[in-house]
Amino acid sequence: MASTSTPKPDEKSSTPADSKPEQAQNTKTAGALEEDDEFEDFPVEDWPAEETEAANQQGNNASGGTAADHLWEESWDDDDTSDDFSAQLREELKKVDAAKRR
Amino acid sequence: MDSLIKEFRAAYAGQLGNDLAKTLTPDVPNNAAQLMFVWESGNAQSIKDDLKFLFVRDKSARLNMSSDEAVGWQEIYYSYWKALGEVLAAEGLRKSRVKTSWTSVYEAWKELTSQIIRGYTNHEFENWTIPCLYVAGKYMRLYAMRADAERGSNGDDMVTNFQDDFDPETEKHKSLEDCARQLNRIFNLCLSDRAPLSESRKWGIYYAINLLFKTYFKLNSAALSKNVLRVLSAGRGDMPDFESFPKSQQVTFKYYEGVLAFLEENYEEAEKHLTLAWLLCHKGATRNMELILTYLIPCHLLTTHTLPSAKLLAPFPRLQALFLKLATAIKKGDLRGFHQALQEGEDEFVKRRIYLTLERGRDIALRNLLRKVFIAGGFIEGAEGGAQVRRTRIPVAEFAAAIRMSGGQDIDTDEVECLLANMIYKNLMKGYIAHERGFVVLSKNGAFPGTGV
Repeated sequence: MASTSTPKPDEKSSTPADSKPEQAQNTKTAGALEEDDEFEDFPVEDWPAEETEAANQQGNNASGGTAADHLWEESWDDDDTSDDFSAQLREELKKVDAAKRR
Repeated sequence: MDSLIKEFRAAYAGQLGNDLAKTLTPDVPNNAAQLMFVWESGNAQSIKDDLKFLFVRDKSARLNMSSDEAVGWQEIYYSYWKALGEVLAAEGLRKSRVKTSWTSVYEAWKELTSQIIRGYTNHEFENWTIPCLYVAGKYMRLYAMRADAERGSNGDDMVTNFQDDFDPETEKHKSLEDCARQLNRIFNLCLSDRAPLSESRKWGIYYAINLLFKTYFKLNSAALSKNVLRVLSAGRGDMPDFESFPKSQQVTFKYYEGVLAFLEENYEEAEKHLTLAWLLCHKGATRNMELILTYLIPCHLLTTHTLPSAKLLAPFPRLQALFLKLATAIKKGDLRGFHQALQEGEDEFVKRRIYLTLERGRDIALRNLLRKVFIAGGFIEGAEGGAQVRRTRIPVAEFAAAIRMSGGQDIDTDEVECLLANMIYKNLMKGYIAHERGFVVLSKNGAFPGTGV
């Protein structure tokens, strides 16, 4: 039967990925390290405006109701007064204050 | 060979440039059987005779082609057939198992490329045929890289090159360096065409430039890429509109133009180009989008002090790994977290040439920390019973405590004042330091410009 015949060496590597996910993972990381930042060739030469990322973002806006600006956010946050870091900072500042009064 | 020329004639009759280029495309992975068929259709002499007959004597084709042009094509297909033999041999597909090297493949393909260039300079080729130049350039670069890699792994160079001026770096990229010169010929061939735009080879200019960019980046020579840009901007007046080129060419060009500006630390310029590349990019081209954002994100950090949102990074796990920790630390004003994130990503950041740019994000992290101190200071009564205002006289000791805590290490007051002075100098904070009294007096309106306080 053809399906049970021994695969040729080069076919071996292309056996279904789920049979050895670990190895696939390994080769992927190795590939990532080797990779440089060369821009890839696009599979097609040209595409209509509807298929651009710009249109994609607008499409998301129409359905999600968020502006494209939401892809970028401010570099600080204001409403973090409850996180550990801010609480710790307030403690520190209190200590400075106390030291001054002494 | 007959079948190939049949395809050529169909493409030529319909003036279909891409179809024409397909007849000169050695796409082995997808087309091995057909390429073998072409290669095995004769030997050097019979192929030569066949081509001569097909292009010169066979009148049945009735292509509207001058005999001069026909000779040009005849030579091209002969060169292609020879190069194909080398390609198939190097891939180990030829039945006789002839040995060859990728260096020979490169040389054979270079010969074909020269023939094609000659077609335009000597044989009246029209501009709709320029996809042939594209395919020549594209494969020439691929073969050059394989040739360099093969010689590198065999250590062949050492045997043949014992001259005084032996330079291992140039030897390593010998074929690719040569390839860059050939691609430059293609670039000039397109650039120098004086024909009216509708029939001009200038339509090939961006494809040629993009190939040059890729090559120069591989050769680590951004300076040569800048030269190309200079030549281009000098001739831009009589160039077709950039928008009328295919989007694949626009996006690739804008990516490299952006990265070049980025490397020169011209971040505003870089952001402009990269944003355009990003918006025009095909929405499915994940890897390319990832590459664009790799540079666009550091640009945004420096120009507008904005960070990528979770939504933006969602489709790109690799970018999340690269930037998420750093962005969180910046937002929180967490100096130690910033330092850690920068160190953890160092190898990757350096490789992508974004390390130095990201390092400047420390200023933003520090700004956010100082801003928190300011906000924690709360409000005081306004003058003469007016509305409450934020406390603007902040003890240096408070800033010092915050920096000490956030950085996780001790720091003396002089150093803190130095950091504060830097913040003021960079216009990230507005105010002055009253050194003798150990105070910072911040501006009442906009102590931290652009952040709402």
